[in-house]
Amino acid sequence: MRAEVVYHLARRDVVKFLRDRQNLVATLVRPLLWILAVGFGLRRAFDTGATGVDFVSFLVPGVATMAVLFSSMFSAISIVWDREFGFLKELLVAPVPRTTLVLAKMISASVTALVEVSVVLLVSPLLGARIDPLGALVAIPVLVAFGMSVSALGIAVASRMKTFEGFGGIVNFLIQPVFFFSGALYPLDGLPPALAAVVRLNPMSYAVDATRGLCVGVHHFPIALDAGVVLATLGVFGTLAVRSFARMQA
Amino acid sequence: MSPSPAIEVRDLSKRFGDVEAVRGVSFTVKEGEIFGFLGPNGAGKTTTIKMLCTLLAPTSGVLELAGFDVTKNPEDVRRSIGVIFQDPSLDDRLTAEENLELHAVVYGVPRAERRARLDEALAFVELSDRKKDLVRTFSGGMKRRLEIARGLVHRPRVLFLDEPTTGLDPQTRKATWEVLRGLRDQSGMTLFLTTHYMDEAENCDRIAVIDHGRIVAEDSPEALKRAVGKDVVFVRTNEPAALCALLAERYGLTPDRTEEGLCFRVEDGEAFVVQLVSEARVAVTGIAVRRPTLDDVFLALTGRQIRNGNGEAGRAAMRAMARRR
Ligand SMILES: Nc1ncnc2c1ncn2[C@@H]1O[C@H](COP(=O)(O)OP(=O)(O)OP(=O)(O)O)[C@@H](O)[C@H]1O
Ligand SMILES: [Mg+2]
Repeated sequence: MRAEVVYHLARRDVVKFLRDRQNLVATLVRPLLWILAVGFGLRRAFDTGATGVDFVSFLVPGVATMAVLFSSMFSAISIVWDREFGFLKELLVAPVPRTTLVLAKMISASVTALVEVSVVLLVSPLLGARIDPLGALVAIPVLVAFGMSVSALGIAVASRMKTFEGFGGIVNFLIQPVFFFSGALYPLDGLPPALAAVVRLNPMSYAVDATRGLCVGVHHFPIALDAGVVLATLGVFGTLAVRSFARMQA
Repeated sequence: MSPSPAIEVRDLSKRFGDVEAVRGVSFTVKEGEIFGFLGPNGAGKTTTIKMLCTLLAPTSGVLELAGFDVTKNPEDVRRSIGVIFQDPSLDDRLTAEENLELHAVVYGVPRAERRARLDEALAFVELSDRKKDLVRTFSGGMKRRLEIARGLVHRPRVLFLDEPTTGLDPQTRKATWEVLRGLRDQSGMTLFLTTHYMDEAENCDRIAVIDHGRIVAEDSPEALKRAVGKDVVFVRTNEPAALCALLAERYGLTPDRTEEGLCFRVEDGEAFVVQLVSEARVAVTGIAVRRPTLDDVFLALTGRQIRNGNGEAGRAAMRAMARRR
């Protein structure tokens, strides 16, 4: 595997992400709207006493993880796009191992996710969130690993899809429950047992928990467990992505 | 001469559900050869190319490229080939230059040579002044030219070209052929191409004609034309009925009435014309003798005119017709 090839393939996605100005602005503003609308909207209803932090600060790590979830999943959509417009053939006949193509896609997905996360973490203090800068820095690798595993799942799905429409449907079907059952929007302590069970099965819960623990000092699981689950998820989905991609025909 | 042929195909078949796109095709392409694959729309040309370039798994058969088994060693095959696809394959949200650069990197063109190769390729297709523009702002022919340029950037051992010149203006078509022949002569590149332009097919060393997934003829253009045989004669006259009668009675011919006069086929056109003119009591106003062309070969072998050889317009019209049905 040649590093230069990975770099150029990943750069292609990032260049296109930065070039599409309208989309770029929309993606960067969307998480901030969540913080403004949901954060300030529900602040009064939130029992600060239970966690020791105000709701806006509590929400920011959840929104950052959400941004990673959405942007990584939608980075994988570019595979379906490439198939639709024919460029995928050019990649598939190239003398490059399929693993390289998958890795490049996962890297570009996490780079675009990182751009979004940085904006969330840099702007949210201006909105009144109290975030530990050092903790936020440590949370970034966790979010990158989470982003890569989400894009790997997206790649696995995209490799089996023939059309945009099909991919869009499946992705929405996957992404909504993952987001809502993750604790991005609410604390995990004292949940009804059924909900707690679902949340416990959701890998995103651990990414949110780690990020929240590191950024604002509130967490439900041990951070080491969080990191372990995120890495294991990356391993499983990464393998799945490589397998699905290798089987794909143009 | 290398011991293994550039391409070796035996009993290749491909089935898509109920459609048998390729049915037991066999052929060999020698190193450094220009091999043309001709056939009507839907004959199985693109399907065969996709199997040869590792994009499609064959239903059955043996495929070897540069000595590598295509199904077992796809990576080795990919290192030996280049493909100019029939369908669009550019990233139109990148610039022309970015498309070529990514290709050069992916195909391992050494960094030191990259700049020169890109400039050379862009200059050849006359897109140097547009290299910083997004491909989506290009005309159809410009995109095609860019794809051809890209196919030449990494100088593969075997280059596949699926209808490379469709949609190109005559100057570019001519220039493209000069470059292709040059590549073969200088670097011994093997070219495997499909085309619906019979004048282009004349450039091939060997031609295989495929119809309904089967190869119906395979030889040099000259030999194929010889096999079709007879010369085509056109005679103009003011009294076509009388001449028709004469040709039928005296020589047993049944001429067709065409815009260029009466048309028929005989073994030795010139000798026949000399004899006819000296004997005929009918005033002849014009004569033309034509050797069989590849068009005649194509027609004789597939029983069809070249369908929709003029590209996009024809294809769109056919799609519209299919929709109306
Ligand atoms: N992916 C596919 N799924 C189903 N059928 C296919 C597929 N690809 C090709 N075919 C069918 O296989 C047959 C051969 O198609 P192919 O594209 O090889 O023709 P071709 O010789 O390249 O024609 P053209 O001159 O129009 O490019 C056609 O009947 C086509 O409909
Ligand atoms: Mg074709």
